[in-house]
Amino acid sequence: MEDPERTKQLSPSLAAKTAARVVKLPTRGETGVAKATRNGGATTGHKGSKRSHALWYALYLPQLEELALPQQRQYLNKLAALMQEVSSTVSFHPLALVCEIRSSLKYFGGIDVIHCRLGQLVTAQLVEWALADHFLYAVSPTVTGSLLLARSGHNALVYQKDNLRSALGQLSTEVLQLNREQNRRLYNMGVRHLRDIWRLPPAGLRRRFGSDFLNQLNQALGKVPEPTRNYLPPPAFLTCYDLPYELENLDRLLPVADEIFAQLCDFLRRRDLGTSQLLFSLQHEKRSCTEISIGLRQPSRSRKHLMLLLETHFSNLSIPAPVTAVKLEVTQFDAFVSHSDPLRTSEKWGRGKWGQTENSFDSGENQQRSGRKFYSGPIFPHPISPNDSNLNQLIEQLQARLGEHHVKSINSVAEHCPEYASQQTDYLEVDTPGKKRQAVATQVALHPRPFWLLEQPLQLRIRRGRLYHCKAITIVSGPERIETHWWSGTDVRRDYYVAREQNGSRLWIYRERGADKRWFLHGFFA
Amino acid sequence: MSVIRAPSGTPGPTADKACTHTQHIGELLQGNPNLWRGCDMAGQGCHGRSTGFPQLDDILPGRGWPDRGLVEIISPCWGMGELQLLIPLMRSTVEQGKWILWISPPYLLYAPALVQAGINTGQVLVVERDTSCKDALWSMEKALQTENCGLVLAWQNWLPGKVLRRLQLAAAAGDTLGVLFKHRDSEHSPSLVRIQIRGSQSQRDRFTRSEVTVIKARGNFRPLTTHVDLYQQI
Repeated sequence: MEDPERTKQLSPSLAAKTAARVVKLPTRGETGVAKATRNGGATTGHKGSKRSHALWYALYLPQLEELALPQQRQYLNKLAALMQEVSSTVSFHPLALVCEIRSSLKYFGGIDVIHCRLGQLVTAQLVEWALADHFLYAVSPTVTGSLLLARSGHNALVYQKDNLRSALGQLSTEVLQLNREQNRRLYNMGVRHLRDIWRLPPAGLRRRFGSDFLNQLNQALGKVPEPTRNYLPPPAFLTCYDLPYELENLDRLLPVADEIFAQLCDFLRRRDLGTSQLLFSLQHEKRSCTEISIGLRQPSRSRKHLMLLLETHFSNLSIPAPVTAVKLEVTQFDAFVSHSDPLRTSEKWGRGKWGQTENSFDSGENQQRSGRKFYSGPIFPHPISPNDSNLNQLIEQLQARLGEHHVKSINSVAEHCPEYASQQTDYLEVDTPGKKRQAVATQVALHPRPFWLLEQPLQLRIRRGRLYHCKAITIVSGPERIETHWWSGTDVRRDYYVAREQNGSRLWIYRERGADKRWFLHGFFA
Repeated sequence: MSVIRAPSGTPGPTADKACTHTQHIGELLQGNPNLWRGCDMAGQGCHGRSTGFPQLDDILPGRGWPDRGLVEIISPCWGMGELQLLIPLMRSTVEQGKWILWISPPYLLYAPALVQAGINTGQVLVVERDTSCKDALWSMEKALQTENCGLVLAWQNWLPGKVLRRLQLAAAAGDTLGVLFKHRDSEHSPSLVRIQIRGSQSQRDRFTRSEVTVIKARGNFRPLTTHVDLYQQI
C-alpha cells in the first residue's frame, strides 16, 4: 500500500493478494493527511478495493444549522476531537462528521460498542452546549452514502457495498440537498426517490443537472473516489528522558538536551512549524522539578539557537538536587517564517564603503573599490532593519540570563504629570500596542525635560537665602506650572525651573505651590 | 600638517626645495590607508561621527567619535552633561536603524527627554538598575557583539583592565560603540577614548561652559582640554 511500484512488480495474483491483505489492516497511527491524499488519489483498482473495505460512520447534526458558520466550525472541530477516540480518520462535511470505523471494529468489539461510545460522548457534549441532544447517524461503505443515509434519518447500517444501491434507492431526493430549481426539475420529471434516478441515463443527467450532481451519486455508490477534508489534531510535543544516572553538573546535561532539541526540530520541520515558547523541566528525586521557561521573540526551529538559550539559562541556574530526568514540552506552536540570507556576504565590508573610509582612501584605492561597488552600494542602500534576527537573539539571551522583567522598553505617555509621562514596560509586551506608542512618542514637550528623573523628589536646603543641593543653585529658566493630578490620589501643584548648580550640572527643580512652598530636586539634565 | 619638517636653519632656496619634497612625501604617505601615522590627529581626515560640539571635534582624532570601540566618560558625579555630549551620537545611531541599550542607568531614564532629543524610544532598551555587576558586564559584552545594537551605554564605577580589554574586543568584533560612564579615571585603560568632564570653576562665563578633557584618544599625543557649553538646548 505504501509503495505502489513494488506492488506492480509482483505477479498479478500475488499483487492482488498483497494489496488486499495490507488494505484490511490500516494502521491506527496513520495521520489524517496521509490517508486523505491516499483516498483522494485512489483511482486504481487496488486502492478502490481498499475503500470497499472501509466502513464510514456518519454523524448528522441538523440542530447546528441555527448557529453562525464560525461557531458551527468550532463545534464540529470539538466533536471531531472527541470522535478521534474511536477512529483515526475523521472528516468534515456540512453539519456532519464522518469517521472510518472498520479499522476500530476489532479493537472495540463491534459496531454497537462504538455507536454507544460515540453516542455518550456526543450527547454529553451537546447537552453541555445546550443544544438538542439527539443526532442522526448511519454506517455504510462510502462516505457520501453514509451521509445521505444519515440525512434521511433512517439510522441505517449497510455493511456491503452491493446493498448500497437498494438502501439508497429508498431515500427521497431531498437528502441530496439540491437547490430549488433542481428540485423542481426533478419533481417535474417524476423523480421522487433515488431509485428513480438509478433508472435514468447518466449522460442525460449530467447534461441536465451538471457533473457535480452525478458525481455525488457515483460517490455514494462507491464508483468514484471521495476526497475528504480530514480533521488534524493540534500539534503537541512532549518528551521525557530518564537519565541513566543522576547528574549534578548541568554541563553534562547539554548533550542530552541537544538530542531532545534535535527531536523537537525534526518534529517541527515535518509539520512546517516553529515554536516560540518551551518548557524545559529538570526532575529531581523527592523534590519538585526545576522548570525553565524558554521564550523566543520570533518562532524558530533552529537547534543551535535553542541550545544557546538553554546554555544561557543553565549558566545562571542552581539546582536543589541532582537531576534524574529531563522533560521538554512545547507550550506554543507558531507558523514557521523563514528568512532569506542577504545577497551580500560581508556586512562590514559594505559599511566600510559607505561609512567612514570614503574620504580617507586615495584615488587608486577608490578605483579598486568602485570595482566592487556593484555589490555593496546601490542595491542595499538602507541600513539593516532593526528587527533583524541577531538583535532578537540578543534580547532573548538577555531575558534568559537576567530574567524577563529586567529588560525594559521605554515609551513616553501623553501625561502632563512628570511622574507618569514615562513608562517602562517589559519588552515582550511592547509588540502589541506598538501603534499607540508611536502616536504618543511624536508629542514633544515644549519645555525642557531631564534625562534622569528621581523616583522620589529630593528636598533642597536653603542656606542664607540660597538653594543648595551639593553646591549652590542658580535658577536659569522657568517657571513651568504643572497642576492637578487629583484623580490619581496625589495632588500636584508645582512650578518647575531649570537650575544650574555651581559644579556645572543642570537640575530640574520645582517649588510646591502649597502652604510651605518647599523646593525639591526632581531630575538631572545629565 | 606635514610629517617631516625642514630644518629651520637652512637658507631660502634649499628650504623651498625641501619643502616640495616634504609635501610630495607627505602626499604619498597620506595616500596609504594601511599606514597609521602618529600625528594623524585633529583636523586631518574625517573618520569619526561628529560629536556635535565643534570645539570637541577639534581635539578628537578623526574629528569625532570612533565608529567602533570603547569610550570612557569620566565625571565626578552623574548628571554633569555627559548625556548631552552623546545626544548627536544617539540620534545618528537611531537614524541608522540601530538600537541603543542602556545598562543599569543610575536614575530613571525619562522618555520625554529622549523624544525631545529626537531619539526614537522604540529603539531604546533598558536593562534595569538592580542588575548585578557581573550580569551587567555580561550583557554589555553580548550587546557589543551584536551588530544591530549600535550603542551600548553602561554605568560602572571601577573595572579592571582585563574586563575593559574584553569589552573593547567585543566592540571591535561587533562593529559597535560602547560607552562606559565612570567617576574615576584609571590610567592604563585600553579603551579608545577617555574623556573627563568637569564643571566650570570660573565666574567669568558664569559656570556655563564645562571643562572637557580628552585624556586619551588613539591618535592624540597628550591630553587636550577645551571648554564646551554642553547645555546649549536648555
